[in-house]
Amino acid sequence: MAKQEYTRNRSDSKIGKIVIDRDLCIGAASCIAVSGTTFELDDENKAVVTGVDSVDDDTLTMAAESCPTKAILLFDKEGKQVFPK
Amino acid sequence: MHSYKYIIIGGGAAGISAAETIRQNDKDGSMAVVSDEPYPMYSRVMLSKPNFFLGKIPFDQIYLKNKKWYADNKIDFLGSKRAIALNPEHKELDLDDGSHLHYEKLLIATGVKARKWNTEGSSKTGVHYLRSLEDGIGIMKAIKTAKKAVTIGGGFISFEMADLLKMAGLDTTMILRESYFWEPVLDEASGLMIENAMTNGGVKIIKNAEVTEVLGNELVEGVRLSGASKTDLQERSVFDTLPCDLIICGIGVTNGIQWLENSGVKTNRGISTNEFMETSVPDVWTAGDIAEYKDLLLEENIQMGNWVNATEQGRVAGSNMAASNKTPFKFVSFYTTSGFGISIAFVGDVSLGTDRTIVTRGSPEINSYARIILRNGEIEGATMINRSSEMNAISKMIEKNMKVADILEQLGDTNTDLKSLIR
Repeated sequence: MAKQEYTRNRSDSKIGKIVIDRDLCIGAASCIAVSGTTFELDDENKAVVTGVDSVDDDTLTMAAESCPTKAILLFDKEGKQVFPK
Repeated sequence: MHSYKYIIIGGGAAGISAAETIRQNDKDGSMAVVSDEPYPMYSRVMLSKPNFFLGKIPFDQIYLKNKKWYADNKIDFLGSKRAIALNPEHKELDLDDGSHLHYEKLLIATGVKARKWNTEGSSKTGVHYLRSLEDGIGIMKAIKTAKKAVTIGGGFISFEMADLLKMAGLDTTMILRESYFWEPVLDEASGLMIENAMTNGGVKIIKNAEVTEVLGNELVEGVRLSGASKTDLQERSVFDTLPCDLIICGIGVTNGIQWLENSGVKTNRGISTNEFMETSVPDVWTAGDIAEYKDLLLEENIQMGNWVNATEQGRVAGSNMAASNKTPFKFVSFYTTSGFGISIAFVGDVSLGTDRTIVTRGSPEINSYARIILRNGEIEGATMINRSSEMNAISKMIEKNMKVADILEQLGDTNTDLKSLIR
């Protein structure tokens, strides 16, 4: 399970899916600093999504952008990757 | 003299997150980033990660911003230049290429430097440090031909480097001056857990020992040791020397703030700042590893060297530089690393003082062990081995300045979900 997918169901959201690339994730935890209600680390120091709908698209995008290894990928509802661009 | 509204010294996590925040608040203010490196912003934390190091991901993935980003955001990138003097009265900055710049608002986010190793022979080719991309490239080249590596120092650089040296197939020996790994940041039990993981991963560890000389002519050929126990050395069938062709040194950092000596900017170990990231001098801010800041949650002045802290401080400094309202920096810092099948996480302030008490959670026997550090009845920080999933809960408790005197037993009981204790 190198890539872990999480489906998002917020009605005000254009983002339909969050994907964590566990091979890239190094547990820098910057995503948690931006959005601690969305992300947590597991005991292997990899980010996991625990609150897929907890924040709006802007905050979620900021969390993905903050990742120093670009391990968080965001997709729109049609399945097109919107981050990293 | 060229004049900018904003000048940022330092092109790393703190500097660029400040630049980004300034641009969000001020679309047109002129801005320059001065960096002593030629590269656009890259991921310093990736430098010591095996995926990058061993070429499992494309090299360019290290860059988090490209040149176009600077142009699009109307930021002049002044690379390969160092600031050498600051005159706050005239708001002037001198660079080492002889140029002078004028600023309205200045951010010093120069980070820290790797501490140089002052042992006889330590300037020989084959002795490496890891701080910059240049350093990383140097080690990446060296591991292609090197056979026997030695790491000096007992911290995360040694830990991560030993992991990747082993993955690259090198015979690896770690030399520690201390009696256990990461002393005194960790307790002995935690240190031994990490040592066991490394030993199982094939790393040889020599403790209570010091290198007295790096051997070889121009190139590193070995090290001479003092203090190592005879058994340690006999195992390697040598007397007091250890052959090696690569040395990686991770013995701490220095601040490099001498250039500010006559500037009037107050410094202590790092650059002193209040909770708004303002230095003692008007219109000069600081952020990142170099900032010795007033931590509102921990109620003390501290310096924190990690990626997340630098990014968050840069954000606050940038916002305060560009916006009219002031935001304080209020953040529970954390740092994690993993290797040899073990994960390590630090949250908050993990330094020890006589006023600290410790609650342990889990145990080395079950290979999952945390120390929760308390001061005045509140949690100050924690070190966690294979318990990173509890990091969020602990940082929440620090953030809330939660009184925990009445729940010490639950804090130490692994059957209690820490999240259920947050109030």
